[in-house]
Amino acid sequence: METLSSSKRLTVIIMAFVFVGAAALTLFDLRLASSQTVTLVAKRSENAIPLDDPSADVWDKGAPIQVPLSGQNTVPPRGGGEGTVTARALHYDGKLYIRMEWSDATKDDSTSMQNEFTDAAAVQFPVEHGESVPAFCMGNPDAPVNIWQWKAAWQTGTDASVLDVQEAYPNIAVDFYPFEDEPEFYPAAASGNIVVRADRTSAADNLLAGSFGTLTAAEDQMVAGMGAWDDGKWRVVFSRDLQVGAEYAQFAEGDSTNVAFAVWNGANAERDGMKSVSQFLTLEVSPEIATGGGGLSGGTIGLFVVVGLVVVAGLATVGSYLLYTRRQTA
Amino acid sequence: MAKVHNWQLGREMDYRFPEVHPDRQFVAVFNINRCIACQTCTFACKSTWTYSRGQELMWWNNVETKPYGGYPHHWDIKLLQLLNDANPGGQTWDASTQSDDAPYGEFKGMTIFEAGAAEGKDSAIGYLPTEEDWTSPNFYEDTAKGNPGVPNEYHPEGAQLPEHNTWFFYLQRICNHCTYPGCVSACPRNAIYKRPEDGIVLIDQERCRGYQKCVEQCPYKKSMYRPNQQVSEKCIGCYPRVEGSDPITDGVPMETRCVATCVGKIRLQGLVDIQDGEWVEAPTNPLYYLVRKEQVALPLYPQFGTEPNVYYIPPRWVPREYLRQLFGPGVDQAIDRYTNPSRELQAVLQLFRSTQKIIFRYEIEEGEEIMDTEVNGRRVQIFNDTIIGFDGNDQEAVRISVEEPFHIRNGEFAGQFQNSI
Ligand code: SF4
Ligand code: SF4
Ligand code: SF4
Repeated sequence: METLSSSKRLTVIIMAFVFVGAAALTLFDLRLASSQTVTLVAKRSENAIPLDDPSADVWDKGAPIQVPLSGQNTVPPRGGGEGTVTARALHYDGKLYIRMEWSDATKDDSTSMQNEFTDAAAVQFPVEHGESVPAFCMGNPDAPVNIWQWKAAWQTGTDASVLDVQEAYPNIAVDFYPFEDEPEFYPAAASGNIVVRADRTSAADNLLAGSFGTLTAAEDQMVAGMGAWDDGKWRVVFSRDLQVGAEYAQFAEGDSTNVAFAVWNGANAERDGMKSVSQFLTLEVSPEIATGGGGLSGGTIGLFVVVGLVVVAGLATVGSYLLYTRRQTA
Repeated sequence: MAKVHNWQLGREMDYRFPEVHPDRQFVAVFNINRCIACQTCTFACKSTWTYSRGQELMWWNNVETKPYGGYPHHWDIKLLQLLNDANPGGQTWDASTQSDDAPYGEFKGMTIFEAGAAEGKDSAIGYLPTEEDWTSPNFYEDTAKGNPGVPNEYHPEGAQLPEHNTWFFYLQRICNHCTYPGCVSACPRNAIYKRPEDGIVLIDQERCRGYQKCVEQCPYKKSMYRPNQQVSEKCIGCYPRVEGSDPITDGVPMETRCVATCVGKIRLQGLVDIQDGEWVEAPTNPLYYLVRKEQVALPLYPQFGTEPNVYYIPPRWVPREYLRQLFGPGVDQAIDRYTNPSRELQAVLQLFRSTQKIIFRYEIEEGEEIMDTEVNGRRVQIFNDTIIGFDGNDQEAVRISVEEPFHIRNGEFAGQFQNSI
């Protein structure tokens, strides 16, 4: 047998790495969003998905993708920066669920004092899924986007609301508020501004936009959202019926659309355009049963252990092959 | 960035939006010399507009003691510092180019918009006041400038004109309903707008999402965040009154609450007509007269570049250098004219707080000379002229003479009063 030429050797090594990589991605159903083909797959969950526990075990069945974020640098106010969101999606009983998970060293969940800004997250879909996706930030006038935005501050007070003055300042002393019951002295609420709606039942808003600066509250508020911060990490779950009125994003089993993510860090005074954003990726609603796609449930440590094992296995394969070919030529 | 003309700076400047002007502009003149810091204005505004939950830190009108006071604390010092950092030593005026169209000459330095651009920022320079900055709104009340280099002591010859060595004065502040508002240019949602009918600047309470970019970029810090509404609010120029929709004046435009209640009679507020971006020449509109013709009333920090529309008659005892920093190069002329008032100015000054109705024009009926004397080596003549102010329907709203009518009350009521004790 003739000697394995160095070019052939290179090919073998590359193939080995491809094998290792593919094995890891298959094993964990892990897709890199930076690649054009990356898809967030929402498979059918066999179990109900609790909104009040974004860390619930059921999410282990959702295949995660790592979505790279970068600072919003297109229009003022610019801001945000590099980061990663781990996104998962499931559907159950006619509802789509999306969970975002990202690192944030501080929990900023109040906007009830001066100079406070809240941690927040959003998912964005084209209202109408077509050949081309809208500009990934805030849509185009002829290709609007449907945005679900969750804010930590919106679930801080009682009844999923912002803190009121006496909660934010427990020692406040005020003689009386003469116009307490007169709506005109609460003009934002009186004019129907959604950021302050008194009947807020969800910490997530349903919004529409057709370009920068056009974000508008949608007529129908039907998006549920709940987040939990634990040990330097936010986990936020969004949920909505798959099928709703045509003016909003639609989902159906077997269909695909696009999804993009955004994260705001309140500690950094991020709000509005000052945010970290992703590109649009594909979101596929699959009729398949969610089985966990290899199970990332063991967490990051487990991931590293198994990836490590696979890499070792791969290198061992390459090594023994090289050894074998050497022996042949010896 | 677009190029717009700022007459207060005597030049073009950069602004986010192209030049657009309202048909009429809300304008006020505050005579600092007469303010007694009673804060009636402050409370008139508070009890009218900001008495509700979430507005506890809000004072759309405030009166602060200069040089140390400020609401929010040190707002102006911080702005001046930011501007100086952006353009060290360059914040100067060239007063030699003064003309009717550029009454203060030309500003050679950088506005908040230009300084922002120079620092590569998307928008104007500015800062967000902290929670503490908004507290104790009248801190440093009546605190005078001491004797430099001598702690805890006032200057031995503290109170000698023309410039006192120990001094303070009251600065009355509301939103300036600027021609080129920092707040409008800051809002990424275009939720702030300037009304075409009167130039009043309002935050659309339905569109605002509480991002507080306006709070950050109003150089006068007159946009404020209301936490329990999750939005920003600001002085609304008492627009229902300015529109004439308050029942008291039967449909004619009415002065704002903070103006109409002023105990010291230091305030006059009205509307000037704007055409092709310029104040329409109206020498008998009292605001036009005071600001553009007689030029005794000056904008506050014109160098910020927002073309503010509240004008001040500067306090005549305060060191000019300090005043020039606040009001620009027009200070010396304004004080000179105010302390040696022309016959017309003497009459116009009577209009302050003489009626709740906005005065659109005045007429003067000449009266006899009642004083001819010398003050500081200058001849002073006073005539008992009568000034008549006309309202929005051109009906007589007020008639008042230079010499205040003098009433002598006899002793009969005093006796009754004593008996009743
Ligand atoms: S009411 Fe008039 S005199 Fe009193 S503080 Fe206000 S501006 Fe000054
Ligand atoms: S004073 Fe401030 S809030 Fe008022 S119009 Fe000017 S920039 Fe806006
Ligand atoms: S104009 Fe009206 S709203 Fe503005 S400070 Fe004066 S009283 Fe308050």
